[in-house]
Amino acid sequence: MIVVDDIYKRYRTEHGPGRWILEGASFTIPTGVSVGLVGRNGAGKSTLLGIIGGVDQPTRGAVTRDCRVSWPMGFGGGLQGSLTGRQNTKFVCRIFGRESDIEDIIEYVQDFAEIGSYFEEPVKNYSSGMKARLQFALSLAFEFDVYISDEITSVGDTAFKKKAGQAFKDLLGKSSLIMVSHGESTLREFCDSGVWLHEGRAHWFDKVDDALSAYRESLA
Amino acid sequence: MELHRHSLKITLSVWRALLLRESLSRLAGRSAWFWLIAEPVLHMVVLSVLFAVIRQRHVGGIETVIWLVLGLQGFFLFRRTANQMAGAIDSNRALFTYRQVTPTDTVLMRGVLEALLMMIVLSVIFFGLYLLGYDILPDDPLGLLEAFTGLWLLGVALGLIVSVGAELAPEFRQIINMIMMPLYFISGVLLPIANIPEPYQSWLTINPIVHGLDGARLAFAPYYHSVRGLSMPYLHICAIVGIVIGLILHRRFADFMVTK
Repeated sequence: MIVVDDIYKRYRTEHGPGRWILEGASFTIPTGVSVGLVGRNGAGKSTLLGIIGGVDQPTRGAVTRDCRVSWPMGFGGGLQGSLTGRQNTKFVCRIFGRESDIEDIIEYVQDFAEIGSYFEEPVKNYSSGMKARLQFALSLAFEFDVYISDEITSVGDTAFKKKAGQAFKDLLGKSSLIMVSHGESTLREFCDSGVWLHEGRAHWFDKVDDALSAYRESLA
Repeated sequence: MELHRHSLKITLSVWRALLLRESLSRLAGRSAWFWLIAEPVLHMVVLSVLFAVIRQRHVGGIETVIWLVLGLQGFFLFRRTANQMAGAIDSNRALFTYRQVTPTDTVLMRGVLEALLMMIVLSVIFFGLYLLGYDILPDDPLGLLEAFTGLWLLGVALGLIVSVGAELAPEFRQIINMIMMPLYFISGVLLPIANIPEPYQSWLTINPIVHGLDGARLAFAPYYHSVRGLSMPYLHICAIVGIVIGLILHRRFADFMVTK
């Protein structure tokens, strides 16, 4: 279960504190329920994912997690540019205390990412699609109760999208997802419930379809 | 996977991972090792030649080369540690995606790595001097260790403080680069502070680095004419006070640094 309790967030700008991005967002994600986040660009979806994932801190409010939550996957975060794919994989194994099965994890990541000889090259030489592949493979190599996906599927090619979709489907059942995506079909496919972010507030919908229609109505 | 790892266990595995990651980037590439050792050695050689030209065979009672090596390497230990630590957060920003990794971890591990590297560099240099026929056995090895540890800790203190400062205002690092140059001259690396008349000598010995460098020389040869009022505790207290301030700043601005 993840409880998001009255989260306020604003960033600093060149001219002091910026505007409020999240203003009192509250909801509870029950165990095993996959959630899609919808909202227009700049509504605070990625910010909220970062806060749920524990890599960003809310200005006010708190998030309670009583399960294993992945880091937010997407946009090449979490990969050190000067290190190769293999070295990045080893680094992540080490911080998760999985040194004992490091070889198995490397093999899995290499297999899943399918980036060939680029696995031995510095990540800074990767295309955004290759980064997404590596990141995705990395997070699947560890067992989490909740995976956070920030449009990870939108950067890859068709083959990767298919593979990622299959991997998500295999996950459902034992894990759940919190995802941001602008693809409505993706959200319908993987998510049970939806959260619509609008003007700093979060609106919870038990059915993802209802969240999508609320979002669409707000655009009309 | 274990459901709950103890916080200390997590921190230790993060430190280990960061140490390996940093040493990889530091030592990767063909010329990394070369420059690591070449920089201090070249400094040493050029200055030794200069001193030889002015026919200064001894400084304060010990051989010029030994005097120079201790001063230069002691100062480099301090400067490199502070500089490397100051840049740690910027170079590791991508890794803060993992909530286990904090900016403080990256800064501290760079400090540790620098100590290890300087140990290797120093061993190489002393071995080289031994081959050249210099007497490289210190009279008081523990005293030498005490002085160098103090200089390293002082570098750690400065690195911790500057790394936070640079997050608050990037200009901060430039100021540090600017003060390093004059600091090199007033710390007794090239100029024996002990020869400077009072009251100026007392003013210069406010700088704890002077105590570290002359402390190392005194530990090497007990007959060395060091500065007056030489005090190892003074160096260590300065360093520890600085480290405490640095850690408090890291604690205070912990959220600020990751949410940038």
